[in-house]
Amino acid sequence: MATKYRFIGKATPRKDALEIVQGKAQFIDDVKRPGMLCGKVLRSPYPHAGILKIDTTKAEALPGVRAVLTYKNVPDWKGGVPRHVKVLDNKVRFVGDGVALVAADTEEQANKALEQIEVVYEELPAVYDVEEAIQPDAPQLYEEFPRNLVPTNVKVFGPKTLSNVVMGDVDKGFKEADFIGEGTYAYENVANPLPLEPPGVIAEWQGPDQLTVWSATQSASWHRFIMVSKMGFPDIRAISTHCGGSFGSKNYSAQPLFYAAALSKVTGKPVKVMYTKEEQFGAFVLRLGSRFRGKVGIKKDGTVTAVSGEWFVDTGAFSDMAQAQVAVGCGEAQLMLRCANWDLQTKLVLTNRSASGVVRGFGGQELESAFHPILSIAMEQANLDPVEFFKKNYVKPGDGYYWREGNWWVCRGKDYSKAVVEGAKAFKWKDKWKGWLVPTAVDGSKRVGVGVGVHGNADVGEDDSEAYVRLNPDGTAVIHACVSESGMGQRSSLCKMAAEVLQIPLERVDMTPPDTLINPFDFGLVGSRGTYAVGSAVIAAAEDARRKILEVASSVLHAPPEELETTDGKVYVKTKPDSPVPWSRITGIMQTCTGFGRFTPDYSVPNFLILFVQVEVDIETGKVVLQHVVAATDAGQVIDPPSLEGQIYGSFGSAGTDTAIFEESVTDRKNGHLLNMNMIDYKWRTFSDLPEFRNVILETGIPSHRFKAVGVGEIATSPGPSAVLMAASNAVGKRLCEYPLTPEKILKALGKIKGA
Amino acid sequence: MMPFDHVNAGSPGEAVDLLTSYGGKGRLIAGGTDVLGILKDRILPDYPDVLINLKTIPGMDSIKESGEGLNIGALAKLADIASSPEIKAEYPALSLAAESVASPEIRTMATIGGNLCQDVRCWYYRYPHHMGGRMLCFRKGVGPCYAVKGDNRYHAVMGGKKCFAVCPSDTAIALCALQAKISIFGGEGTRTLPLEKFFTPMGNVLRSNELVKEILIPKPTQETRQAFIKFTERKPVDFAVASIACVLEILGGRCMDARIYLGGVAPMPWHAEAAERIIKGGSLDDPTAEEAALASVAGAKPLKGNAYKIEIVKALVKRALLRRQ
Amino acid sequence: MSYVKEKATITLTVNGETHELEVGPGPSQVAPWHTLAQTLRETLGLTGTKIGCDHGGCGSCTVLVDGKAILSCITLSVECDGKSVTTIEGLGSPPGRAPDPIQQAFIDHTAFQCGFCTPGIIMASKALLEKTPSPHESEVKDALSGHFCRCISHYHVVRAVMAAAKKGS
Repeated sequence: MATKYRFIGKATPRKDALEIVQGKAQFIDDVKRPGMLCGKVLRSPYPHAGILKIDTTKAEALPGVRAVLTYKNVPDWKGGVPRHVKVLDNKVRFVGDGVALVAADTEEQANKALEQIEVVYEELPAVYDVEEAIQPDAPQLYEEFPRNLVPTNVKVFGPKTLSNVVMGDVDKGFKEADFIGEGTYAYENVANPLPLEPPGVIAEWQGPDQLTVWSATQSASWHRFIMVSKMGFPDIRAISTHCGGSFGSKNYSAQPLFYAAALSKVTGKPVKVMYTKEEQFGAFVLRLGSRFRGKVGIKKDGTVTAVSGEWFVDTGAFSDMAQAQVAVGCGEAQLMLRCANWDLQTKLVLTNRSASGVVRGFGGQELESAFHPILSIAMEQANLDPVEFFKKNYVKPGDGYYWREGNWWVCRGKDYSKAVVEGAKAFKWKDKWKGWLVPTAVDGSKRVGVGVGVHGNADVGEDDSEAYVRLNPDGTAVIHACVSESGMGQRSSLCKMAAEVLQIPLERVDMTPPDTLINPFDFGLVGSRGTYAVGSAVIAAAEDARRKILEVASSVLHAPPEELETTDGKVYVKTKPDSPVPWSRITGIMQTCTGFGRFTPDYSVPNFLILFVQVEVDIETGKVVLQHVVAATDAGQVIDPPSLEGQIYGSFGSAGTDTAIFEESVTDRKNGHLLNMNMIDYKWRTFSDLPEFRNVILETGIPSHRFKAVGVGEIATSPGPSAVLMAASNAVGKRLCEYPLTPEKILKALGKIKGA
Repeated sequence: MMPFDHVNAGSPGEAVDLLTSYGGKGRLIAGGTDVLGILKDRILPDYPDVLINLKTIPGMDSIKESGEGLNIGALAKLADIASSPEIKAEYPALSLAAESVASPEIRTMATIGGNLCQDVRCWYYRYPHHMGGRMLCFRKGVGPCYAVKGDNRYHAVMGGKKCFAVCPSDTAIALCALQAKISIFGGEGTRTLPLEKFFTPMGNVLRSNELVKEILIPKPTQETRQAFIKFTERKPVDFAVASIACVLEILGGRCMDARIYLGGVAPMPWHAEAAERIIKGGSLDDPTAEEAALASVAGAKPLKGNAYKIEIVKALVKRALLRRQ
Repeated sequence: MSYVKEKATITLTVNGETHELEVGPGPSQVAPWHTLAQTLRETLGLTGTKIGCDHGGCGSCTVLVDGKAILSCITLSVECDGKSVTTIEGLGSPPGRAPDPIQQAFIDHTAFQCGFCTPGIIMASKALLEKTPSPHESEVKDALSGHFCRCISHYHVVRAVMAAAKKGS
């Protein structure tokens, strides 16, 4: 790169590195409040049942028990979109649904009390399949939603919120097509984002309408601005501790927060609700289920002429975010496929399993993973190299798309073709790709195959961010922005950006803790927006502060501000760098200088990532081994190399690539029980199973960011699942379309065992 | 965890006395890696009043190699067994089996006695109580075996009758193939039986006042060839989807004797006698291995979702016999 | 019959400091059913040891007991009587102040993302390097094979441990 930066682009130790490696970083379960009680949840044994009778007298009489709440006496707060999910209801809708809450002095007392709550249930039939759930005679989860259809025309992103993609003329488009891929495919293994640290919330009421919540969250402000409207508009102060991973799921913790706040309200004491791992598995946040029935038309040269179909989105028992994910998913589909004719309709369906929530990939991964088999069929018919296809069809500058709020945006980002080419080169795609359903190599029972997927998101510029940057007389700076740390290293990276603008050593830049009381608004670290959106606000605040101190310095140094420069906490006239004056002499030691910055949404700059995978399939045992991965992207300008690399390595964690290999939530559809709620039966990739992984990160600057950078972290998981299906299909010479590719599915596809 | 008392046993006799005096409300703890999970999830309707710690019994963790064979105290750690040079050299099937268990930390804590006595991993049986209530099933004395009609991908394809949970022990099949004996100490003294006879469809033959004291393995002959292969979805951590341990006597290129045991496929270590019969007396070539593989699964009765295990077993048998991975 | 009945107190040496702890259910006591992770975190206030799954399935509670890496969430505190425990707070010289070389390597390589798994991974790495000062990369991976990191810091972690080993040797 031509620009030489002092900090940007260099690997610097994370600002919180020492506290993390010394075990001093405070996570939610490390926080204690004076007099704090322990909150526990009694959970439903049935997937669907009415509560006929509930008796809490015995539980209430136990020593140490301070409160027992049921649907009868719990506050009338509601979640869900539109609002319909009560804190506790007289009905349960999945095995593990909340039935009653207990607050006690100790965890042992609380657990004992749960045992003493007597409940009489009336079992109701349950439904788990989206297309069965929408039948007129299907069991109904909520009275207000006939046929279990949740309205999609809800204005989560304003009056035109996207709930479908309709444009052009699909009939005409399909007529123009040389090949049509068609079918129904699903990505319904509803994997768990599964951050290592389970969710937890401490709630403490300061007054009848004043609540403070501590939690481990990815986006501190959500516990204020999203939860206030669900809870009758109390003044919520949200404080985030270090967050032990989130991947979307801990952006906010609606249920644990409801529970802790309700128990705190009735007891008048701080209450901590810390979920167990099992609760995290079975009663927190799963990926949306996704099924796509439709078709895609393409020409011989890979031009996409039409996409049509119906997207069934399974939310489980409820979701606060499904409409938002549908909107983003519809937007992202258009980024991946440049196509003039669309008719993509959506249905949001309730089923009797644990709820869906925010998960990295946010609708786009779900849609793409279900849609991809159809696309592969078309590409296969046309005998197109998928890399060339994706290169041709990913959105280019000047192309337009409807984004989540329903507006038409014209891409003013960049052409990512170079990233595709460089990635393919690093992966040796041209050597490895032998055509559709042809293995790259065969060695005895081992078949090697390659696959590829792409993903992109225009949410890098989503929502609002505000920041202050305060310059202290001692030459230090403090960023005031409501930014949590859940693993991206974004707090550190923001410090780097401010340090670069202010030209002060990185160790002299600090940041306020993520606390809504002391910070201006920030939407949080979602959708890869940290670098572009939050970064731009912080940069603007730092620039503003710099401008202000130079203005003040102007009268001290008797030179106009534009002739002044500041470095290392000192100001000098550009022509006289040898006579710098410290900030303390500019402002005096009793004044600070504060700048303000704001970012407003801009959906015109999509990011991009292409993921190449090589798998080996043992056709005797059905085992699929991920051998090599190359991820290629263009980040404009890398802010912190190890942090960016880490985000991209994350592609196979957090319900990403491995959802095509072994990750799934296994539910018994006879009785609704989630079966693999433990760290052995829920499969995750171990240190001993690491594939070779190479990142190809280009830096083609984008003009709309001061450091020409664009975030890419969130999307790393999304192209993986479909790429694995493609690779394994090529390896074994049979089209594989089901997630995840367990030995059973492989052996079935190969005809070695009978189909179910 | 819910409360219990805890007592350290100073000798096997003391442990047995304690078991007797607590009358069924006492439970043994050695490495603790299995029992504490069971107690945390409260998967069983019964909860012990007391845990009787065996680790305080002196000398019961020894590994002694002699000209006769190998004596392993029940408290010997899996890590010590896996890393013992003698075991690696003479009893590689056992060494590999011990090494294949879980993770390094677990192997540091877990004992061989515990590995043999651990409870099944059936996900219905193990359903955590605080997630809506434990699932009462046939194995717990009340109810059906949910696996029969449910998701049985990890359940038995052979030998299942009323309960289809599989014996989860990796070392069990290696030890059976090595013709190990197990020494059990109880109120009536010590009894020793072939390890194969230790296992029952619903667990093992231990009485309520007995404990495993020692494992005795005869020294393999010079001509012995051993193999242990475990199929899992991931290299570490997982329990076997299917596994094989075999001990073959090879003389002049011919297989004179064979002991083949399969793991992860039946409620007990599965003795693949039909496969043994096929390879005994002949040379181990591809067609023989193929035939033995087929024989090893003859009579298998898969449930709806676990027929794939049969294919895996066949592959493992071939690979073990032909020394391929 | 006379048994080795539970003593009224147990002695735990944690990071070189000896604690005499009463056995009992009270807040400053150690109950027979308390795990070592619980005692370290709740009774002794050493919250650097993390509880991720509480079932021995994620490695985040790993501490050293008499030099060996074990899972403190499935270890009973009363069974650690007389033993020496090292937690993440006990690393470095002086402990908890200047970082241990392995901790420094994790800082230098940004060998973490959210950092929740980090104390457990560092303790397991410490145990490995004590026993095997110059491990092969595959030995590092095997030693950490029971440690769950959902962010995927694995590649950076392996680099950090290898670098620490190189520096040490």
